[in-house]
Amino acid sequence: MDLPPPPAPVTSRPGADGLARKAVPVLVLLAAMALVVFGGFATEGVLSRPVGPPVTVGGLVRVLPLAGWQDGGSTLDTTSVLLSRGSGNLEIHALASPGDATQLLRGYVTRFLEPQARRLSVSSSTQAIRLESGLAAVRIAYVGLFGGVQGQIEGEITAVVAAGGVGAVFDGWAPVGLLHYVLDDIHAMVDTAEVG
Amino acid sequence: MGADRAPAQPPEPPVSDARFLRLREPAFWAYAAIVAATGVYAVSEQALFRRISPTGWALSWLLLAVYSLPVFLAVYFLDLYEREPLSLVFAALVWGAIAATTLAGVANEGWGLVVARAGGPEFASRWTAALTAPWVEETLKAGGVVLIVLLARDEVDDVMDGFVYGAVCGLGFAVVEDVFYFLGVFGGTPSGVLAGFYVRVVSSGLYGHVLFTGLMGMGIAYFAAHRKEEPLHRRVTVASGLFLAAVSGHLLWNSPILDLFPRKIQGPGDWLLIPAAVVVKGLPLVGFVAVAVVLARRREHRWLEAALRSEVGSPWLSSVELGVLLDPLARRRSRRDMRVRAGPRAARLLGRLQREQVNLAMLGARPRSEDDPALERQRELCQSLRDALMAMPGAAPAGGRGAGPPLARLP
Repeated sequence: MDLPPPPAPVTSRPGADGLARKAVPVLVLLAAMALVVFGGFATEGVLSRPVGPPVTVGGLVRVLPLAGWQDGGSTLDTTSVLLSRGSGNLEIHALASPGDATQLLRGYVTRFLEPQARRLSVSSSTQAIRLESGLAAVRIAYVGLFGGVQGQIEGEITAVVAAGGVGAVFDGWAPVGLLHYVLDDIHAMVDTAEVG
Repeated sequence: MGADRAPAQPPEPPVSDARFLRLREPAFWAYAAIVAATGVYAVSEQALFRRISPTGWALSWLLLAVYSLPVFLAVYFLDLYEREPLSLVFAALVWGAIAATTLAGVANEGWGLVVARAGGPEFASRWTAALTAPWVEETLKAGGVVLIVLLARDEVDDVMDGFVYGAVCGLGFAVVEDVFYFLGVFGGTPSGVLAGFYVRVVSSGLYGHVLFTGLMGMGIAYFAAHRKEEPLHRRVTVASGLFLAAVSGHLLWNSPILDLFPRKIQGPGDWLLIPAAVVVKGLPLVGFVAVAVVLARRREHRWLEAALRSEVGSPWLSSVELGVLLDPLARRRSRRDMRVRAGPRAARLLGRLQREQVNLAMLGARPRSEDDPALERQRELCQSLRDALMAMPGAAPAGGRGAGPPLARLP
């Protein structure tokens, strides 16, 4: 069967209209994917704005509680406050400190944390951070068994010393496995705290 | 024709399968940009795993290669009539392994914060995986399948095609996620990796991302392939329904509902409980997907028969050949018989003839005139392949050529 060769297919470069028509669904898809990837952070940013008046500890440390964090009746003493959200907790202590942040941190672990703990592991190295106010701070993590609490507790302590020897210790803790879910909140409150 | 002419030379096969590299398609550039950007992170993550535990990392990939190769082949060959271009199938695999896993890691973290904020830490610890990963991961994997459909609309003809792209994308995702779990959750030691492999692969079998994304791919393919014959609302309903089924299966899997998994492994009974727990959670969706795949294959069978019926009796397709084409086992048997009768070259040529006859069905199924040049070219190609085959010594059946080359006994 000898058929004449078929005509060559007509090929042409897609015009601007054709390209735009092809690009529209791709752009819609990319926008939808961007919403999925980054939408959580944006939503969380909106939901986690500070609410209510600042909490002042010992007249020296001010913290803006994020939505959901309660301090109603949880004052430990005049120089300490406990903020809670579910099983997540943030203890804020205003302390005088003759030394630097690292010394304040070690002193807190020795004088406050260790006496309460039945078994305690503290991270061997400290992490240096800087608060939004510009103050330098140090941070460590710990895990341990504490009297009166079922199961292990994991926590993170941040210590900072302002001019004049005004110190603050932020001890965020929760049952093991749950700290992860409140740690961003704790960091946000610590990072925006005012000391001194 | 053919018999009284010099033996015809079989036409040259296509030079290469370059259907993925469509440089004029915006979808190609979107795909390439996202895979390149996420690839940097994915490679650095694997390098980190390798540094942490070289043996565990190598063992993880070895075990997962042993698992994923047969799964890949099973999925690929599930599409009985028209195998998808390998370049596109690999593009789906790479998207699942690199882009979807990396983007999902970022997205899950963000939406996990929202769950923790809205529900508190206790609720978040139980429900974050169920309320974030299913829709986040299915959407991001679907993004890759949609890009492939946009890139090569002409390759996605039916729901089975979507199943192949989706399942392979899910396979890529599952493999990289498993490496992460073996190293990050099960400890990364060889014994930890083996435990992880038992829990996440041996016990779970095919259940997981392969099924979820396969199901969703069917929905995407239904939406794309039936745009001429089905109204928009029906296509949206079917695609959304399958997407929801995939997300629901994933959600049930990640949720604390029906969770029979042992909290701690303390003895052989706990190891045996794991597959039982998987069956309870996974069986409903496995059954649903199995039914969907069987229905899709039947639909494809009917489609092929309808598309080729008008070609039967022509010099490029006989009724016997159509019967063989419709039965995958008979197709394989016909090639085996041909190899015995006329040698491997003839068997390969017969395989090519069968593929081109299926391609003829695809061309014929697309709206075009009967004398469309592409259709005519395809008919000519089939006829020339057939002539070439018949000219090969031993290829012609003993009973003469009345019905064309009856290339196999019908079952």
